[in-house]
Amino acid sequence: MGGSEREQQLSRAFVALADTLVADYDVIALLDQLVGHCATLLDADAAGLLLADSRRELRVVAATSEDAELMELLQLQADEGPCLECYRTAAPVSVADLADTPTRWPVFCAAVEDVGAFRSVHALPLRLRGEAIGALNLFRAAPGPLPGADLALGQALADVATIGILQERAIRRGEVLTEQLQVALNSRVAIEQAKGVLAQLLDMGMDEAFDVLRRYARQANLRLADVARAVVSREVDGDALLAARRGRGPQPSEHGRRGR
Amino acid sequence: MNELGPVTRELLGFVRDGADDKALAARICQACVTGLDVDGAALSLLTATDARQTLWATDPVAEVLEDLQFTLNEGVCMDAARTGIPVLVPDLRHHAETVRWPVFAVAVGERTAVAALFALPLQWGAVNLGVLDLYRFVPGGLSEAQYLDALAAADTAALMLLDHRTDPGNRFGGFIDHALGHRAEVHQATGMVLVQLAVSAEDALARMRAHAFVHRRLLVDVARDVVARRLVFTEDMS
Repeated sequence: MGGSEREQQLSRAFVALADTLVADYDVIALLDQLVGHCATLLDADAAGLLLADSRRELRVVAATSEDAELMELLQLQADEGPCLECYRTAAPVSVADLADTPTRWPVFCAAVEDVGAFRSVHALPLRLRGEAIGALNLFRAAPGPLPGADLALGQALADVATIGILQERAIRRGEVLTEQLQVALNSRVAIEQAKGVLAQLLDMGMDEAFDVLRRYARQANLRLADVARAVVSREVDGDALLAARRGRGPQPSEHGRRGR
Repeated sequence: MNELGPVTRELLGFVRDGADDKALAARICQACVTGLDVDGAALSLLTATDARQTLWATDPVAEVLEDLQFTLNEGVCMDAARTGIPVLVPDLRHHAETVRWPVFAVAVGERTAVAALFALPLQWGAVNLGVLDLYRFVPGGLSEAQYLDALAAADTAALMLLDHRTDPGNRFGGFIDHALGHRAEVHQATGMVLVQLAVSAEDALARMRAHAFVHRRLLVDVARDVVARRLVFTEDMS
């Protein structure tokens, strides 16, 4: 990507994020946008975001692909890996080539080799008052370091994510961080459940099902989590969602407008 | 990060000992009254639109609060169940709250001396299992540490109840299936199976767990097979 083209994309991304933050926004959609920006703007093939829940356990809240999500899950399962270390130390962790670090995270590295999708990982903390509340992770298929400028940008995007999570509801009511995280994580579960419903109903893969869900929410101006809940409780049928994907407008009136 | 609070630790310490839903709810409520600065607690199920049931109330006041909300169809726990977001009311007599729940706030004032109410939804993704309601006679919010503890406790309680209700025979071992809270495949498969069998998300999970048990497999492996379309649930399969 040419320098000026990337700069333009970058400014557009930050303007879009800033717009999102002043409106009544959907934190899951914001985090989803953020990992998307990371994969397009930075020298990364995929990105994922982990947040700590109320029991201090990390959970995946956004990922650009099922492969990226799998990478996060492998670390959670192995209870080791760059993203976990980044969260625990609240400092960035860069691994240019996972093949060089078999002893640092033996279980995780063995699992990654089996999957074979990614070779390098760069983990950036979501920091708040010196502590980490989660981690943003960039994955690349090819080994190698991430350029310094990309790391700085990635950290800026991670900071936007932190602000986004903190702001979402604090704007309206003075609530603590954990509640926001908990609600975001629960929304994530609802979205996974809804992806399953759509995958079965419309006979498609999970990535495609997520795409359908996202487009529908965007076109209907509904929160992703609200659409997910309506899908799981079967209040909205697959055809309406498919119509949204084909570009015809959905009929959002039954599901309540965004913002309560 | 902070340590886990006393209520959450107490809940996590419960041994799976065949307690039914009511007994479990009683222990959760009691742990809250002991560990948090509240006078009473109740746990109600508000599943499937109109089916409401108070599993446990620590005292008559807690019971009155639940009854009022169900009767009036208005109140903190109804809002928590609908939105999936905790509802905290440090002082129900405050003007902003009486405007928010005009009928409920007056009714509570007439029948009880309750000032503060905290309703914590027991949420599993898109599914609301019920609400944990806490009350106090003296106005005021929960401290941050108490609130964190209450949130984590509600989250734990949700998994425990879900575990109970998708495994009524206590056949599948370990009371909180850790995979449950974390694995995308389990949630995705739940969504697929609920369509395959035309049942609720809870029932779909119960069917997957039963299948895993019968075939001596892990739930997450069954879920993976469902997502990979190697396994399709039908009415008549075991």
